[in-house]
Amino acid sequence: MLRVKDLRLGYGPVPVLEGVDLEVGEGEFVSLVGPSGSGKSTLLRAISGLLRPDAGEIQRDFAPEELGFLFQEDALLPWRTARENVALGLRIRGLAKGKAFAEADTWLVRLGLAGLGDRFPHELSGGQRKRVALAQVLAIKPRLLLMDEPLASLDAILRTQVTRDLLSLVEAEGIAVLLVTHDLEEAIALSDRIYLLSKGPKARITREYRIPFPRPRDPVGVRAEPQFGSLLQRLWRDLEEVSPCVAQ
Amino acid sequence: MRRAVILAGLLLFWEVLAALGWVNPLYAPPPHQVVLTLLDLFQTGEILPHLQATFTAALLGLGGGVLIGGVLGLMAAFSPVFSDLLEPFMLLLNAIPRVILAPLFVIWLGIGLASKVALSLILVAVLIFFAVYGGVKQVDPRLLERVRTLGGGRSWLLKEVYLPSLSAWVLSSLKVAVGFAFTGAVVGEFVASSRGLGYLLSFAQSTYNARLSLALITLIVLFVLFLFFLFGRLENRLLRWRPKNQGGF
Repeated sequence: MLRVKDLRLGYGPVPVLEGVDLEVGEGEFVSLVGPSGSGKSTLLRAISGLLRPDAGEIQRDFAPEELGFLFQEDALLPWRTARENVALGLRIRGLAKGKAFAEADTWLVRLGLAGLGDRFPHELSGGQRKRVALAQVLAIKPRLLLMDEPLASLDAILRTQVTRDLLSLVEAEGIAVLLVTHDLEEAIALSDRIYLLSKGPKARITREYRIPFPRPRDPVGVRAEPQFGSLLQRLWRDLEEVSPCVAQ
Repeated sequence: MRRAVILAGLLLFWEVLAALGWVNPLYAPPPHQVVLTLLDLFQTGEILPHLQATFTAALLGLGGGVLIGGVLGLMAAFSPVFSDLLEPFMLLLNAIPRVILAPLFVIWLGIGLASKVALSLILVAVLIFFAVYGGVKQVDPRLLERVRTLGGGRSWLLKEVYLPSLSAWVLSSLKVAVGFAFTGAVVGEFVASSRGLGYLLSFAQSTYNARLSLALITLIVLFVLFLFFLFGRLENRLLRWRPKNQGGF
């Protein structure tokens, strides 16, 4: 579904990323972890087409319209209502206003935002805004969803709730996901596979882990699995190895 | 409310001073005389063609200026070629007192409506140009990125991000623009005309008629305040997405 081969990308003379290879399969949930500043977000931007790589290949076997991107900030249009924000992607895809709004409303309901369609973003709570952003990107029915620490700004309880809803929707729709996160537990709980990116500059993927837990998954319950602790320890140790700062 | 009381108090004070004979009514006629003059102007219908002339010039200048300034601002913001072409010219126009162009417009366009509209238009257009040009650079890049990743091209970016984001900037300059539009029209009439409030003002000056002068000033102030009120309403309507505590400009 997505294959990145020998990618190099940099803003200055020294590349941020060099020789990056990764793959995301159909309906697969893949996480990307690594020390901060390793270029995880840059990699996502390159995959989404916002940045052009200097070298290497990005193969996608889906149309550009089938790619969704969820950012760290909930960059909703402040002058549009929740409904209009959710409908935006659909309208860009040529759907008539009435149909797009009706579809947006069903997504708002699916994300537990029934009745809030007419609110402007500043009239919603942080968690609600996150859900609107999620509805916006899911409404376009992406086949691959890129996420850049989308829930980082939420408190632990909200984060758990939104994560659970997100995972069940993604599993139900069979959407492939590439998630950038710094939360190792979250990565293990959600993913089928995890890539570890080394510290930049010239960051590359140094390790790959397979997470054997079955689907559908409960992102909280899965933490009680016997293998969870040992996986977390291994990941932690490897992360410390590639990023000396963490060890201090 | 407090402001209204202060204003009323000042007018009363003036009235009293005039009644006591402490100010010369020839230079500073008491407020009631000004009001009577105004009423008289309307009753005889004498003012109407002048009002019409000034308003036509100011509103055409305002509309045209917003349109032309807005379009040029957008063009300069999105095309480096236009920006190179327009920016020095606009900076120059912005730096000079633009009313000095009035005599030139009279020579080019005659003493009729056209020269007043032109002056009013150029005053407004330069102001709006910079509001739009600067506003585009203030647009939140995260919103642009968001719309782009949803697949939106240029026209979507313009419609969903740039224009709404600009509306806040432009609306706040629009109030200033109203004043500019009237300045342009009235100064144009000062310079050379046969009609308009500026013409009447110039007439009042040449006949040492302070009463007429003050009546006309009052009239213009009232109309500008009325337009401010209308724009305030428009601003509240168009910017209702804004959190209340940020307030208006």
